[in-house]
Amino acid sequence: MMDSLRKYLKILRISLVERLAYRADFFLTTFFRFLPLITTFLLWEAVYDGADKTEIAGFTRDKMIAYLLLVQISRMFSSMPGLSTGIARDIRDGNLKKYLLQPIDMLWYLLSYRGAHKIAYIATTALPYALLFFLFRHVFDLPSNGWTWLAYFASLLLSFIIGFFFEACIGVVGFWFLEVTSLMYIINIINFFVSGQMFPLDLLEQYPYVTRTLDLLPFQYMAYFPAMVFLEKKTDTDLIVGLLIELGWATGLIVLCRWMYRLGLRHYSAYGG
Amino acid sequence: MLRYVNLWLSLAKFSLLGELAFRGNFLVKIFVELLWLGILLLFNFTIFEQTTKIADWNIHEFLFFIGCYFAMGGLIETLFMENCNQFADLVRTGDLDFFLLKPIDEQFLVSCRHIDWSCAPNVLLGFGVMGYAYWAGGWGFAPFATIAFCVLFASGAVLAYGFMLLLTSASVWLMRNQSLFEMWWLFTTLMRYPREIFDGNKWASPAGWFFSFVVPIMLVTNVPARVMVKTVEPWLAGFALTAALIVAWVSRRVFRMALQRYRSASS
Repeated sequence: MMDSLRKYLKILRISLVERLAYRADFFLTTFFRFLPLITTFLLWEAVYDGADKTEIAGFTRDKMIAYLLLVQISRMFSSMPGLSTGIARDIRDGNLKKYLLQPIDMLWYLLSYRGAHKIAYIATTALPYALLFFLFRHVFDLPSNGWTWLAYFASLLLSFIIGFFFEACIGVVGFWFLEVTSLMYIINIINFFVSGQMFPLDLLEQYPYVTRTLDLLPFQYMAYFPAMVFLEKKTDTDLIVGLLIELGWATGLIVLCRWMYRLGLRHYSAYGG
Repeated sequence: MLRYVNLWLSLAKFSLLGELAFRGNFLVKIFVELLWLGILLLFNFTIFEQTTKIADWNIHEFLFFIGCYFAMGGLIETLFMENCNQFADLVRTGDLDFFLLKPIDEQFLVSCRHIDWSCAPNVLLGFGVMGYAYWAGGWGFAPFATIAFCVLFASGAVLAYGFMLLLTSASVWLMRNQSLFEMWWLFTTLMRYPREIFDGNKWASPAGWFFSFVVPIMLVTNVPARVMVKTVEPWLAGFALTAALIVAWVSRRVFRMALQRYRSASS
């Protein structure tokens, strides 16, 4: 058990060194990543000015900006660029063999690798994000009690697990379809909307069936839910039920992914490579 | 010049044959673009359920703007995106040698050799949205504005191409080869909304001015869209046309500088 853990920690360390080799790329991408955020803030400023209201769907102007910033933190944990296409490519090219010939499990290996990616990303972007949050500090009311902080960190950690195994499931579909890029694009576009990255899902409250369905799907736990926990808009029963659903999805996706992977290996013919 | 037109037509035909060899993939890609347009429109309508105006743009004017943005994005992706995306890879692998050895302008060959036909319907969809918004807005037929729109839309495309070429060239020094697509998507966020949203905010106003007159990416869609559904001051239209020429010239210089840095290391 300890040997196994040491092995994956070593992978984490090596991946971290590799990731930090691209610091300039990280900083440039981070700067560019602020552009959509800034334009979205300004768009919402213009919406509030045009609406002549102080609240839209329960969000004041400040709370809306706070929400959009917090969604960035959620996505920092849950987004997994290139994971599914990478898995599908390894399956298609036959490179999956390298995992099968070594005493290493592909999914745990990739989880360690992604963990390193996230640590490196958070470390290299901490400064610009800290600056951004500092500039917008007036829009935040920090959670008033320790339990909210705990729930927030738990929701972020679970969003990482959901994000990883959700994408990994799509990648593992590559055992049967070989090419999953188009499927990934379709899911990403839908996810962009239904996970609450564009706006808080409360704006859809006039369609209660839609919001209730979205509560039960995994998408909103990758962006909307952690942000709402921080803003203390999910409290008491809502918070506990939300966390339980998130935990359910995290566990369910781990089980599903491992089952699909094991099933896929039976199909695998190790072409190429 | 005619030689290049003929060559481009041949490349376009060759690209189309390539796409049609994988019809299923072609259709899925079109479906993805349709879905993206659907999400954009849904976002637009959800926002306009809360307000009647966004920075002085009403729902029909804003819809026209979105159509213009979508058509422009589609045009750039059809003609240049995939080509530019592969540039850093060509440098890394040394395959750029084969391009440099051909008796054709390198910029043309690098940036125009492949036409991504699966993005071409976006141009039509964008024009469809613009047409619907124009009809729903109740504006009458305006021949002068239509001609001005066509000219300014073309100049916007030149401007966007210039910026893409600059970003492509910069990728040789700054980025990993897979970053360009994401960089372009992030950068073009600036042309996704009316530039008036930058006005009235003491921090954003200078940024709005900067991205309109120093790095004029915002003018790519703002000027053509405004000329149809609002008014454009003649000096701004003139500035957009001049900026397109300057950016095209500068991007060519920078691209050639990037080529000079090429050492054919891997070939």
